Formats: sequence, C-alpha cells, structure tokens
Amino acid sequence: MLSELKIDQAVELAPILTGEVDLLPVQTRYSLRVKPKERCAFIEASNIDLPAQIGKMSVQYDRVVLCIGPDEYILICSLAEREPLARKFEELMGKYIFSATDISHRNVSFILSGEQTTNMINVGCPLDLSLENFPVGKCTRTIFESAEIILFRMGKTKFQLETWRSFAPFIVGYFEKYCLQNRGK
Amino acid sequence: MTLHRKPEYGRVNRGKPINFSFDGKIYSAFDGDSLASALLAHGVHLVGRSFKYHRPRGFVAAGPEEPNALVTFDRGPGRVTPNVRATTLEVFDGLVAHSQNNWPSLTFDMGAVNDLFYMLFPAGFYNKTFMWPKSFWDRVYEPAIRKMAGLGPAPIDEDADIYASQYMHCETLIVGAGPAGIAAALAASEKPGRVILVDEQYEFGGSLLSTPNMVINDIPAWQWLEDSLAILKARENVTLLTRTTVIGYYHENFLGAVERITDHEKDLSSHKPRERLYKIRAGEVVLATGAIERPLVFQSNDRPGVMLASAAHTYLNRYGVVVGEKIALFTCHDSAYEVIFDLADAGISIAGVIDVRDQVSETIIAAAKARNIEILTGTIVSGTSGKFRVSSLRASKIEDGKITSTWEIACDCLLMCGGWTPSIHLFSHSKGSLKWREDLGAYIPDNPNENVISVGACNGTFGLRKIMTEGAGGSTEYQVNAGAFGSGIIPATFPTEGDPAKVKAFVDFQNDVTEKDINLAVREGLKSIEHVKRYTTTGMATDQGKTSNLNALQIAAKAVYKPVQQVGLTTFRPPYTPTTFGALVGGKDGHSFHVIRKTPMDGWAEDHGAVFEPVALWRRARYFPRDGEDMLAAVNRECLTTRCSLGIFDASTLGKVEVIGPDAAEFMNRMYTNPWLKLKPGSCRYGLMLGEDGYIMDDGVIGRLAENHFHVTTTTGGAPRVFRMMEDYRQTEWPELDVWLTSTTEQWAVIALNGPNARKLIEPFVEGIDLSEEKFPHMAVREGRICGVETRLFRVSFSGELGFEINVPAHYGRALWETLFIAGQKYDITPYGTETMHVLRAEKGFIIVGQDTDGTVTPMDVGMSWAIGKKKKDFVGKRSLSRPDIMAEGRKQLVGLLTDDPNIVLEEGAQLIANPEQSIPMDMIGHVTSSYWSATLNRSIALAMVKNGHALTESNVYIPMPGKIYKAQVSKCVFYDPNGERLNVI
Amino acid sequence: MLLIKCPYCQEDRPEIEFSYSGEAHIARPLNPDDLSDEEWAEYLFIRSNRRGLHHERWLHAHGCARFFNALRDTVSDKFELTYKMGEPKAQVKK
Ligand SMILES: [Zn+2]
Repeated sequence: MLSELKIDQAVELAPILTGEVDLLPVQTRYSLRVKPKERCAFIEASNIDLPAQIGKMSVQYDRVVLCIGPDEYILICSLAEREPLARKFEELMGKYIFSATDISHRNVSFILSGEQTTNMINVGCPLDLSLENFPVGKCTRTIFESAEIILFRMGKTKFQLETWRSFAPFIVGYFEKYCLQNRGK
Repeated sequence: MTLHRKPEYGRVNRGKPINFSFDGKIYSAFDGDSLASALLAHGVHLVGRSFKYHRPRGFVAAGPEEPNALVTFDRGPGRVTPNVRATTLEVFDGLVAHSQNNWPSLTFDMGAVNDLFYMLFPAGFYNKTFMWPKSFWDRVYEPAIRKMAGLGPAPIDEDADIYASQYMHCETLIVGAGPAGIAAALAASEKPGRVILVDEQYEFGGSLLSTPNMVINDIPAWQWLEDSLAILKARENVTLLTRTTVIGYYHENFLGAVERITDHEKDLSSHKPRERLYKIRAGEVVLATGAIERPLVFQSNDRPGVMLASAAHTYLNRYGVVVGEKIALFTCHDSAYEVIFDLADAGISIAGVIDVRDQVSETIIAAAKARNIEILTGTIVSGTSGKFRVSSLRASKIEDGKITSTWEIACDCLLMCGGWTPSIHLFSHSKGSLKWREDLGAYIPDNPNENVISVGACNGTFGLRKIMTEGAGGSTEYQVNAGAFGSGIIPATFPTEGDPAKVKAFVDFQNDVTEKDINLAVREGLKSIEHVKRYTTTGMATDQGKTSNLNALQIAAKAVYKPVQQVGLTTFRPPYTPTTFGALVGGKDGHSFHVIRKTPMDGWAEDHGAVFEPVALWRRARYFPRDGEDMLAAVNRECLTTRCSLGIFDASTLGKVEVIGPDAAEFMNRMYTNPWLKLKPGSCRYGLMLGEDGYIMDDGVIGRLAENHFHVTTTTGGAPRVFRMMEDYRQTEWPELDVWLTSTTEQWAVIALNGPNARKLIEPFVEGIDLSEEKFPHMAVREGRICGVETRLFRVSFSGELGFEINVPAHYGRALWETLFIAGQKYDITPYGTETMHVLRAEKGFIIVGQDTDGTVTPMDVGMSWAIGKKKKDFVGKRSLSRPDIMAEGRKQLVGLLTDDPNIVLEEGAQLIANPEQSIPMDMIGHVTSSYWSATLNRSIALAMVKNGHALTESNVYIPMPGKIYKAQVSKCVFYDPNGERLNVI
Repeated sequence: MLLIKCPYCQEDRPEIEFSYSGEAHIARPLNPDDLSDEEWAEYLFIRSNRRGLHHERWLHAHGCARFFNALRDTVSDKFELTYKMGEPKAQVKK
C-alpha cells in the first residue's frame, strides 16, 4: 500500500482573522435523508439523534446533527467516526428508507467567534442574529452574499459556518475586509 | 479679517480653528462648520453657476435640500466627488473644494452668454431642437451640451476608498432625530426591543439646533437635547447613527441607509470604509423627517443672497454666521417672523418685511413694532438687483391682483418663505397613499402600506409642542415656551411688471426651470404633472425637486384651472439624496464582486502557467503553454500528446448528483431519455436529459453503483439548473417516489486521464479494482482505492482514447494529481485544459450542450435518437418529441463541415448559405457551432446546425466570413476513429 | 426585499433565499401520450399571467430546499398566503 495523500482544504486565513475566524480540520459529514414516518425507528436503530424540527440541532458526544429540511439532516463529527458510520449506514440500507451521502470533503467549516461575530456575519447574511431570534442551538441553511452557507449557533458569540469548498475563499474575503475595517473596534 | 460671525451664537467649536480651501483660496473656519456656513462667514455668497443659463448662484438652504451650492469635494486622485452640497459638507482642516459648472472662473463664465440668449432655451428646448439630423446628436449637440451644461465632471480615477455594507435588524427604526424623532426614540426605547435612531446630519437635534431659545419642559432646548441624547446613549437597546441618510424605503420595512464615515476626517490612513450601506429590516418605522421650507417664485429670485428664511436662522443659531448686514424678508407665512425677529435681536439691521398677505396678526405686528421692523402687507417682491449678490429688491404694491406701485429697497440679503413642504419622500417610497392639505398647500401621508407612522412636520404637524407630543406617541405630554407656529397662504404665482415673457422667476434652481417654462409646457398641451416634469425637467435634477416640486405643481394647476389634487404629484424614488456608487456597491468589489470557484487542482494549474477561462462560476484551465507557445501551439501539442501517449485533465467542475433510494432507478428512468431499470450496478451510461418541451437540457455519464444508488454527472454550467429541475419533479410531481438527491459536485475531485498509456499509469496506484479490459470494460465504474484513498473510478472517454475518470474526495485532489503527474513523466504526460478537451471531443463528434445546442434542439436534431428508450412509456420531454413542429421537415440538424481549404478554421457562429450567388440578404440555412484546428487530422474541422443537414452529406455549403465566402463539404460528425477502436487499447 | 413565510420552516425569511418557480397548480398530466397536441401545448406554454392575486410556486432554495405554493398579489408584490405542496389550492377571496 502506498503512502496516504496529503489533505488540502485550499483555504488560507490572513493573520488578521486570528481569534475571529478559525478553519476546522476535515470533518466527517453526511447528508442524511430519512423518510419522515421512519424517523423514530431510524433513530433507534442508528443511535443518531435526528432533531424533530427544521432549525433544531442535536449534540451527541462530538457529533452534531442539524435538521435543515423537513427530512434533511447534516451530520458532522470527527474523522475517526467515519468508518463506523459508513458501516452502520450500509447495515441499515434496505432495512429503512433513507439516504446517506458522504459530503465530508464537499464542505469546509469555520468557527466564528468574538464580540463582533454577528456583525461580521451580517455583512453578507440577511438573517436577524439576535439571541432572541437566533438562539444558541439554532441552525439553518441560508445565504452569505451569493454563497450558500449553513449556519449554527454554538454560543452567544460563537457560530459555525459551513460552505461548499469553492465558496470558502469568497466568504473569507469578506471576513478579512470586515476585520481590517474594524481593526481595534 | 472681520468675519460675519456673532461671537455668542452658534455651536461651532471656536477653540478649534481650522483652514480649508475653496477654488484655490484659503479660508478659516471652526470645527463644526459646514462648507456653506464657513464660506458665508467670509461673506462668500457666490458659489456656483446655474445648469442651463450659467447664472451666478448662491446658497438657498442650509441643509440637504440645497439646490444651488454644488461643489466638487477633492481629496486627491481617486477621491474626487462632484456635486456635493456645500450645506452638508463638514469642514475639516485641509478640506479642498471647487466650484463647478463655470469656465474659466466663477466670476467670469463664458457660458453666461446663454443667459443673454435665454429665448433659445425654453421648456422642451432639448426635445425640440436636438432631434434632427440624428447624426448631429453624437457629433455636435451632445458634446456641446456636455461642455456647457454639465454638473461637476465625473471622476476619472479608480475610487481609492473602500466601502462596506451591513444588514441590521430592529424593532423600531426612527428616521430623523429632530424634536419629533428624539421624542419617539425616548418613548420607544423605554420598552424592550431594539431601537435605531438615524439622522443625516453629523449632530442630532434637527430644527432644535437652529432654535436655542426654545424651552422644553422648562429646560432650554439645547440642554434638553443633551440630556435626552445621554438617556438614549445609556440605553442598551438603542443604536444611534449620525451622518446616516436613509436613502430608500422598500418592501416589508426594509430600508437602505448610508453612513458617511471618513468624509469629515482629515486623516485617511485608517482602514475605515468611507461609507457603509446599512440594509435595515425594522418591525416598525417612525418617520420624523421634518419639513422643507418652500421658496417663493418671483423675478430674479435666484440671485446670490436670496435664501430661505429657515436657512438664515440655522446659519445664525447653529453656526453663529450672519448672512447679511441689511436683511429683508419676503413671506406669505407667519413662521418666518421668528427668524427675522431673531436676526433683529442679534443686532442685524432689517431692511423690511414684505408680506403678500393683506393682514398679519396683531402679535406679529406688536413684536415687529418693538424691534422697529416695518411690515409691508399686500406687497410682493417683483425683482432683485445686484451683480454677484443682491444689492436691492423691488417691492410692488398689489391691488386687485395688479401691481400699482413699485419702489426699491436696499438690502444685501433677501430671505423668502413660501410655507412648508412636509418631507414625505420615504413614506412615498414605501407606497403609502397621500392626501392634500389645502391649508398647507402640500401633500401629507394618508394610508400607510407598511408598518409605519409619520410624526411631526413630515406628517403636517407643526408647532414644537404638537410635534413632540406626536413623536412621543401621546405617552409624554411636552410643554414648550413657543407660541403657535402660525399659518400662511400659498400664492404660487405673482403678478409681474412689463412683459411676462421676459420674467425669469425660478421654480427649480438646480435645473434652471422657470415659472414661464411650466406655463409654456401647459400651453403646449402637457396636462399631467408627470409630463410637465419630463418636458421642463422640473424636479429632475439631483435634488429631485425638494424645494421646487410643490411650486411647480401649483403653477401647473393654476395654469390648467384645476385643483392641485387633480394634477397629481410626481413620484419620489430612491435615493432620497444623491448617493455614491461606492456606497451602493458596499464593498462588493474586487474579489468580493462575484464568486470565482476554483477546483482542488487550480493551484497546481496556476503554478504551472495555465491560462484560465471562466466557465459558469468556475475558472478552468484553458491550456498550459510551454515556453513561448501561443494557444494554438499549446493545444496542438496537448492534443497530439494525449492521442499518442497520455493527457491529464481536471474534470472536477462537472456537476455530480448522488441519487439514492429504493425508487432511484425509477426516478432516473423518468428524468432521462435513456432506459435505466436494467442497467447493471458497476456500469455507466451516457444520459440525456430533456426539458418538458423536448429540447436537450443536459447530458452526462451516469454510473450505477448499487441497485438503489446512482452517481450522476452533469455539465459544468448545467449543474445547478439540473439539480433544481430534478428536485422539482421529485418534490412536486412524484412525491410518492422514495428517492433523494444530494449534490456531490464538490465532494469529488475528478482527474480525467486519456491516451493509450492511461491504464499503465494508474495500475501501480490502484488497489481493489481489476483494471483489465475484460474485468473493467469501457463504460464501467468501480469503487476501490488509489494511492490509499477511496476512489470511484470510471472507465469513460470524452476524447475517443482509452480513458479513466478518477474521483477522489476533494481535499486529496491536488496531491493525487501531483503524484500522477510525476509518475506520468515517463509517458511524456501533458496536462491539458478545456480547449484541448473541446478539440478532442469535436474530432469524435461529441456535442457540448450549450455550444452545439441552444435550447431549441432535440435529440433527433443532433442524431441522438439512439439515446431515447424506445420502449419507455414516459420520461420528461417525451410527449413533446411528437409535437408537429418537432417532427416537421426542415429543422436544423447537426453535421460535420470540412472546408475545401483545410487550412481555414471557420468562425464559430458564422452563418451558412446554400448558394453564394444569391442576392443580399442571403438565405441563411444554418450556423457553425464548433470549429477547431485538428492537429491529429492536420486540417480544420467544424460542427454546424444546418437545415435538413442529415440529408446534405457530401453536398457543398458556403460560409461568408469577413472578406471572403468559404466553401465546405457537409460530412458526418465523427472525424476521427469512427469505429471507436482506440477506446480499447490493451 | 420581501419577507416570505416558508410553510416548512414556519419562519419569515428574506426574499434572496427564495426563487420563483412559475405558476402553481399546473400538474404534469399523468399520461402525456393521451393528450392531443393542443392539450399538451396548453400544459406546456399557457399561463394565466394574472394581475392581482396569483397562485405561484416558490422554492426556499437557500433554506429548507422545499418547493411550496403561494398566493401573491402581482400588483403590490406582497404574499397573501403560503402553503405546503400537496395542500389544496388556496381560494381567492373576492
Ligand atoms: Zn423553508
């Protein structure tokens, strides 16, 4: 067997983003769809906690499951979980009506934090990010300028932002401009 | 030098003197001055030349409604802003500004001859005069008009500033921080919920800044202001934005506001944006935008030194500047008396008050008497004199609507007050309806179309106590010392002396439209105010008629003998005040202008000198020139190397969709023309997708990985469209199917290897897949590993050579590419780009959807009936294939073209004709869709859509191109290896 | 920018997350081959293009990714009502 290939997420973060924007290492990500009437049975069989409502997320160990459509979930966890998950889905295939697609490399994730985070996100994202309207634990697919993103709130001033690989530099460019313009603020 | 300042007046910071330059001359000012107040402090009234007649013009107002004093704000290269209102430009130390629209200088202007020939410039002048001949427009009229009648010159350098934008949300947005707005903010912020208070000026207070003598709840106005702002500042739910102009009011309480951040700062070395565009979504909007004083329309009312009464009030009380030493007032409204009394109290000599009305109140008469001010009732101003500044006015006594006597009154400043116009601009943007208030002679808000209320003067409410109580929404009762605001009449027009045709009484100062122009427009049959506006251009200048609209309307109404309501009102549109393009772009420039998607291997291509081209949002390597090669040389080499040995191509941009579910095969069967139910797992098929109209929409190779699992590929540009269409059918037409779609375009990096050595290259790296011809035939797909990384390996070819498409998880793409490229050196491997890909596929007659097809092409038209599952009962587009027009003779069909001269490469898009001898216009029978030099065949090749093309094989067609008509023979589409033997190299 | 209530997300969301998808309640015929050319052309091309209240399909493209139906006023642009796919056609009140 030959040596493993180097992983390259092709995202560069300027020093000015330190402390505001962090790139997560490669995660395991699955796009999960489950026929709504089989949701409970699937949860039982898979031990994957699928939130019951769009916009809600569940956290199990280091695994996050976001419900972003009526029957659509995004599962994000560490790389180590990938093999066991893949095996699990293979086992369940045929027994339950669902779809599991590996999108680990489709997305890249950023952790956004700091007092200015909501303002920085609102440079391109039109949603109201006040704690009342976007509480901790809320998730959604939305838009940042012309790039689609998935956004979820992990704390008062901490968000995770997911986007397709090729859209990441575009979004990071906005963050860089924001941080540069608000230096020292 | 003695300045025209009153030491004990104004809010400017006398402890902070500064210098600025206007038209090259250095002036002193104080921090807190506007350019207008600073110039007036030096007695400078002449600041510009008018648009059409180049008449000398001075300040009319003190705020954003200023129509005359437009200057160029010059901060050096890339930072020149024309047409800035001097009344809103904050002076800072070192500010440089120039006057505009004058040549060679403000005091000697060549264009002023227009004024002597004013008979040449009636209403509709441009419309009438510059119509014929058409060619004159470009060569003669347009450049001349531009030179003579321009505003400030447009900047030519790239904008050196940066801009920003930002979404904001609040429960209550209050626009305007005058007394009404502040009262509203105090009331709103007592409740929970975010409150944003914005004001266009650099200081909150609005009219209070000009009326320090007011006492609110027993507190002097300015103290009250300070206290109130301190309260608001301390409240966590309040955001205060000064220097922020709300420019537009859109659906569902979505408003645009521009904050000016650095225009007033001396130091530009910070990284701060010059302006920020706020896109605000508000639960409720409170408009407290105030009212604008209306000028009076009389002969020579545009002379420098003639200004609005409220402006003089502001210059005195806010800036400590007196606008004249002997000031007269011409009014039809009580409110201006407060101004003239304040001026008198400041020790300024009052030349007299000319009041149109026959009577004024006893209170006013008493107050005037106490100050020794003469009031001339039933009198008008019928003209002014003075070269660059008013030196006297002509007062005329009116009896029965006629002038009975006229005399001169000396003055160096003439104030005018024609009543007040509520600022309904934003309410109007929001599509609320308006109603006419006869007593005000103005429109006020009626039924709102959004969750909005108007308070204070913009709602037609006048008098400080009423304004503030309304602002507070009744929650607080305000007590103030001021008397009633008073009332007035709306005269619209005045009798004139002598020939009315020679009178120039200006309505729209900025566009140089006179009362006579409006009357002329009406006489010429333009009865709607929208038509009058376009014909005369009244209200169409950069100020959108803030001071002129109501006067124009009333003059027009009078001329057609109709009530104003029946003449209408022109529509206000965003932006409220002129806005820079930079603010509108809001930082979405440069790399932020639009997304440029790059594949995982893009960095390698860049390092290796690739020339890129945009394909949809992607940038793709087009070719990889070696030293000194042009595109043709590079592509020839890339093609030959690939056909002889090995080429490597980045196909990552292909759209990819994972189709999974028990009904996946049924879904595919319905979406694509081909049959899918019996395709074996591990096999691929070329898939053709139609729109419901039967025209080709997309194509791509589709692999079946398992019974219930397909890996679909689409064209690069078609990916989003195809995904959406598939989702549409899945969700809305066939919800009973258990199948899901997931876009995996970016999950996989795709490396296409083509050429006889392709298998040899990958063999050592692949695990778990038998690559032999028997076990892994053409159009098969396998899952395994390459370089230790999972792969979906397709054996497919878009070149006609032995080919593989290696899919690996995207973040491994570049590393795998580099590994294969290094290992490929022994096969003289060449990277190639989209151009070579296009040539190789054209040599094989493979179509590119969107290049050879255009959305009106059926599978039969391109000779792909074979891709249609004949036994299928239904698929998207099937029924349309039997529509009469689609079955009819004479459709354009895809053919090959071989030019008689093999060295001629036809132009893509060139038209085809059957007979070159015919007369012009010739009958066009088709067009070239693809055309290349084929190094492999050592000649040119082309594909074309030709009427009845399939029946024309071996006949001649002709292609007119610049300079010559070329002859070509119609051929089959496949130019190279027609039997496909090269696919099966062992 | 309009706010649109997505019947799946049950939230008012900004218009730029959505995309318009043509007139609503025009079902694809179950057996297209049974239709005459005229009937098929009618299905393919003929739309009501109404002034006033109009049944429309919208896609919450950058949201829950669901198509839904809406009743929208083409004069004021405003949405009167949105509802899930498969729910009965909203009645237009006179
Ligand atoms: Zn939704």
